Amino acid sequence: MSDRAEGAVRPLANTAASRRPVGLLLVALPVFLVIWLVIWPAISAITRTLWRIDGNGHAGFDLSSYAFFFSDRYSLDNLAVTLWTTLVCAVLLLAICLPIALYLRFARGRLPAYVQALAILPMFVPSIILAFAFIRVLGPNGVVDILLNAVGLPKIRTPYLTPWGPVIGLVWDNIPLTVLILLSGLGSVANQSIEAARDVGANALRVFWHIILPRISNSILVALSFSVLGIFSSFTLPYLLGPASPEMLGPFMQRTLRDLQDPVGAMTQAVIAFGFCIIFGLFYVRSVARNRGA
Amino acid sequence: MKRRTFMMSTAGVAAGLVLAPRMSFAAKGSIDWYTSSDSNILDFWTNTVKPAFEAANPGIKLNLVDAGDGAGVIAIGERAIAAKKTSTDPQADYFEAADALLPAGAIDAGIYANIKQAGLANYSKVNPLAIESDYSLPYRGSQVLLAYDTSKLKPADAPKTWEQLVTWIKANPGQFVYNRPDKGGSGGNFVRRAIHQANGLDPKAFTVKNYTPEFGDEALGKAWKLLADIAPSLYDKGAYSSGNTQSLQLLSQGVVTMIPVWSDQVLQAIEQGVLPAETGLVQLQDLALCGGFTRSVVIENGANREASLKLADFMLSEKMQSAILTELGGFPGVSWDHVSADLRKRFADIIPQTIPTFPGGKWEAAINDGWYRHVAPNVDRKA
Repeated sequence: MSDRAEGAVRPLANTAASRRPVGLLLVALPVFLVIWLVIWPAISAITRTLWRIDGNGHAGFDLSSYAFFFSDRYSLDNLAVTLWTTLVCAVLLLAICLPIALYLRFARGRLPAYVQALAILPMFVPSIILAFAFIRVLGPNGVVDILLNAVGLPKIRTPYLTPWGPVIGLVWDNIPLTVLILLSGLGSVANQSIEAARDVGANALRVFWHIILPRISNSILVALSFSVLGIFSSFTLPYLLGPASPEMLGPFMQRTLRDLQDPVGAMTQAVIAFGFCIIFGLFYVRSVARNRGA
Repeated sequence: MKRRTFMMSTAGVAAGLVLAPRMSFAAKGSIDWYTSSDSNILDFWTNTVKPAFEAANPGIKLNLVDAGDGAGVIAIGERAIAAKKTSTDPQADYFEAADALLPAGAIDAGIYANIKQAGLANYSKVNPLAIESDYSLPYRGSQVLLAYDTSKLKPADAPKTWEQLVTWIKANPGQFVYNRPDKGGSGGNFVRRAIHQANGLDPKAFTVKNYTPEFGDEALGKAWKLLADIAPSLYDKGAYSSGNTQSLQLLSQGVVTMIPVWSDQVLQAIEQGVLPAETGLVQLQDLALCGGFTRSVVIENGANREASLKLADFMLSEKMQSAILTELGGFPGVSWDHVSADLRKRFADIIPQTIPTFPGGKWEAAINDGWYRHVAPNVDRKA
């Protein structure tokens, strides 16, 4: 809320003291849900993987499941491919979404409205439908192959069932969120400052680098940490489009729990995934905190 | 006004409290039926079985409920055990697909009806190969077989033994794909066939109880070698689809020539035009690929035990067993002699001589883990 708005509107309740319990009540439900559905299971997973009952019935501190994960070539390969996918997706998302957001911010006329609608479309497509559409289009003998064949070009090497399959699907799936966050960040870039820079002879690149980028660096960080968190723990797309091995942590965890009937192993993988997500989350929290302080 | 509103809502709440517990009792004459199977089975029951059964048995209704998965049905079974102990109504009468051994101790607790002694008129028709327990009724089955594209492979050249299959796969690189063994039974039973191949073609060598890590490593290790050996000749030099449907998709798009498939899925795909009518089907003759039967149980302490046994008997009738073949694409639970002659002729290619099975339990986890570690990564490709 801007300063002007606060000055103009009379507060509904006059005393700060009477408002406080209501505010607390409003946040109580989400906080309770987060504690119940997220924080408690997380703590329980950490304690149950660290404090285990051994063969003789003695409970004790036990790091063996973590030692296994970090000494097991197969698990480490899965972790590596998860980090690789997340990194590649983040880079691609930035490369694709920043130009779209810049275009939407500065273009005039009716066309941008259509572009925006197109950019937001993936939000309304369930990922399972996306996955099967992907197989139809980019898969072997899919639409792309048929089109290439029609003009006498060789078939593509399909990304289906390779690590690039999930990358393409996840990037497409995350475009809307990233574009929307970047667009809201670009809203804070004043036209005057860009015009002023143009007046003193700055070219487009300089305007971008010195005027726009510093204003939206926070939004970029927020957009990336949001999409990275989602990509790191994604399940459907890597499951349907990715290779059997190495697999991303999402399908790996599900398989360890359900097919290998190894809850401790699955929880260990989950705790390791929390660890990485906390690191990504810290970027977000830090950027929000910095924003508040400013 | 306020007072009247208060009175009305109080009366409403009171009436609700009185009625609510009554309503949750199972209605007499309405069989509470649960399934853990896929939606095609629920559709089959909704569109075919329910109208036929209700027409044949006036006064009995079927209440079809999807319990989600196997764990869902087991949870309702546990509820029936608890209900038995307190002599209350379990609100369940019939499980479409269940293992009589689950939840543990269900038979001892007396919640499953003894089908063998229940005096079903059609019980003697049941395929003896399929009977696993006196407490469960195999009423439909399916088996994995090989489906191939007859435009690329002539039926006369289709492989009939494992050796011929391996030779064919190696001679036609990229033309065969099977799905990850834990993601669908077609690939899973192809992998199990490799395990049988590596261990003397004897399905009896593996039982639920004989898994030990040493025996597992030895028996499965030999199978991993066989599968790793064909891996470079598979689709995309060793890619594995992520489910039964995805394999069918690769076959229908003409990407591969041959895949292992579930009999019911491939018959349905042909029926619906997903696969062309010329799709070839072949079963290995040295030892068939594994299959399995779906077994129903009747809840002993359910409110509609007698009606449910009637339903069980009805499912074994020739009309329903034929519908399982023609509409569901499944195998009959009764012996093939009890299927009409023209259907027997139509499905002659896929009538199994034997239906090998593979035990679950610890073997399953060992197979799933071992395959991902030893076959999927294509370790030998580095060499």
